Amino acid sequence: MTEGRGYKKLKAQTSLQDILEVATEFERTARDFYKGLAPKVSKRIRYLVEELADEEQQHFDLFSELRARPDIVEQVKESVETPASDRRFSDCIHLPELGEQPDDQAVLQYALGREHAAMEQYRSLAESTPPGPIRDLFQYLADEETEHKNELEKRYYEVVHSGGV
Amino acid sequence: MSVRDVLSPFTAWKNLFRDPVSIKDPLNREASERYRGFHKNDSGKCIGCGTCEAICQNGAIDMVPVDGAEGVKTQPGDSGLRPRIDYGRCCWCALCVDVCMTGSLTMSNEYKWVESDPDKFRFTPGIDKKHWDEYRNGYQRPVGHRLNAPEQIDMPELEPEDRIDSFVEIVKGYSVEQAKLEADRCVTCGICVATCPTHMPIPEYISAVRDGDYEHGLKLLYESNPFSQICGKVCTRKCETTCAASHEGDPIAIRWLKRHITEQVPFERYRDILGEPAAATDRKIAIVGAGPAGMTAAFDLARKGHKVTVYEAESYAGGMTRYGIPEYRLPYDTIQREIDLIVSMGVEMHYNTRIGTDISMQQLQQDNDAVVLAIGLQLGRSTRIPGSDHPQVFKAVDLLRRITNGEAIEAPKRMVVIGGGNVAMDIARSVARLQQQQHGEIAVTLTALEDKTHFLADPVEIKESIEEHIDIRDSRGPQECVVDDQGRLLGLRTWKVLSIFDDQGRFAPTYDDGDEQLHEGEWVVEAIGQMSDVSLLGEELTEKLEWNRGRIQVDDTGRTSEAWLWAAGDCVKGPDVVTAVATGHKVAASIEDVFAQQEAQA
Repeated sequence: MTEGRGYKKLKAQTSLQDILEVATEFERTARDFYKGLAPKVSKRIRYLVEELADEEQQHFDLFSELRARPDIVEQVKESVETPASDRRFSDCIHLPELGEQPDDQAVLQYALGREHAAMEQYRSLAESTPPGPIRDLFQYLADEETEHKNELEKRYYEVVHSGGV
Repeated sequence: MSVRDVLSPFTAWKNLFRDPVSIKDPLNREASERYRGFHKNDSGKCIGCGTCEAICQNGAIDMVPVDGAEGVKTQPGDSGLRPRIDYGRCCWCALCVDVCMTGSLTMSNEYKWVESDPDKFRFTPGIDKKHWDEYRNGYQRPVGHRLNAPEQIDMPELEPEDRIDSFVEIVKGYSVEQAKLEADRCVTCGICVATCPTHMPIPEYISAVRDGDYEHGLKLLYESNPFSQICGKVCTRKCETTCAASHEGDPIAIRWLKRHITEQVPFERYRDILGEPAAATDRKIAIVGAGPAGMTAAFDLARKGHKVTVYEAESYAGGMTRYGIPEYRLPYDTIQREIDLIVSMGVEMHYNTRIGTDISMQQLQQDNDAVVLAIGLQLGRSTRIPGSDHPQVFKAVDLLRRITNGEAIEAPKRMVVIGGGNVAMDIARSVARLQQQQHGEIAVTLTALEDKTHFLADPVEIKESIEEHIDIRDSRGPQECVVDDQGRLLGLRTWKVLSIFDDQGRFAPTYDDGDEQLHEGEWVVEAIGQMSDVSLLGEELTEKLEWNRGRIQVDDTGRTSEAWLWAAGDCVKGPDVVTAVATGHKVAASIEDVFAQQEAQA
């Protein structure tokens, strides 16, 4: 898992801007994926896919803005001082094949899987990078994905673990 | 005249040297510690139940709205009213203090109050600030001194050893004497009524129990709840959570008193007591789903004289009350009596008829003036953890349905349940009974993510499950349904959950993966959540409808974005029987309003 999703591409980058460019590209890809998925799923659960697309867009904007800042090193350093903690609830949930008509649970499982993979990838990159701004940036990106995963886990619980008599 | 007579007056002189008995400055002395002086009220503790107003023999107390005042908010369990006392009428008898259900009303030992405006002597303690609010001394109800009994009358039940090998109903019901004693505890404040989703006239029907006027009680019940027999047995009883008596004792057993009324009136009398429906109209309504919401709407609309047809996919009506609640909690004949009564109002039932397969929604739209969707939450959710697709991993609602349908089920010798709600308890206890019957011993482990204080199950269900030897393991996070090399299910692997919710009450678990357990079981049963099967709507209608986070969107009257379609019950709100009943009433009233408007415009 940690070697997937552009690991080598990211590892090859040597500047903060270049790494953020690749990370931003990942977010754009994810956003476009959900935007493409939205019209294909039942209207009943379309809100969920649209929310996911919006959240990827927010990450896209966040990384783009960070990339343009002159004080990028300080910003990242400040952020990584409060690392996000992985809740691990969804570690054991299957990454599903979405198929033609995924239900709300499958969409959330898929999103959780993506965030989990991204989190692990950035974390692995951080661990294999010497201390310094680049390592901080990978840690920052890992934290962002962890936060998003935690938020999705909350939604997963509220959608799936509900509705008993 | 003796010498004594001469000297006696002079003996009084000795009193010149004693301390005076009278008080030098009587207007500035402190009254005795428990003096019944001016009233104080802890407005944050007071719930505005009005029991003080009811008991006052002088009519000196009026309940007045003070919503928004410090510490006061109108909400379930708080009327937003507070007692205003008129000192032109008060006799300081302190009955109001003695009866106060929360102990908020007390009296200071202040007894002087000078005003030029007589209206000032009518005030709202706790809201109109007074200097004696801070007095420590004064009268308050002594500890243990109660005008009404604080403890609920115990409901006779089958003992665990007498019930564990059968599906015989556990609760036996109150005798007349027990019910009257319990009814006597109620102060008829009515604070519970707002909490009941269908606003049953609780104080009035409890009064009917006290008076022994059961037919009147039954009429009151069915005016607001055509599932009164069922709710008398399995209601989630939100009313009891706000009962004034619960502040310093047990709540009134409202559910059991409702049950008592339904048991005291012979069923043959029900129909006469409810009366005949109105004259037939030419309006036709189709209802999809014969659960509490659908059948309540059917009851209301049929009584208005409309032609109501109910379509039910299963062989019997009742929805989740029949297919989700085990018979030891709710006997099937109770459900059937309820359904028979509703059907007797002229409702036409079509069983084993699946909308979307046997008849389309479009057909229902064409053939009727209104359509009500009341399809419930029939599908069980799965954890989808590794191994959860094993054939010996079941969903609780599916198993409960099979038990209701009378299927011969070979119970496993060991079973693990995932879930901490009532459905989880129901399947655990049902299979435990089958195990006892078939194997002579019970081996059911129930695991839940939540700790026991956060279980969604009724505390009584948890208590009875423990009595029936269900092994409850709370704070266990399911990780895998473990399967061996031969494809046999071995059980459920879990981690310890250290905490589950964040400070906003949202899901944010933390685990101790060092505390890993394998709960052995030939079956694993998932009871984590349910959802509606909305496939019957078809793609076209699904696209047309507006949705609210996965549920059909309805307005305040239960009407969907399609003018001909209403939705009620668990598929829009809930889930519980009495909420489904409330939404059933709501859509029936809305349909009736629409018909009336149409006729006014014609």
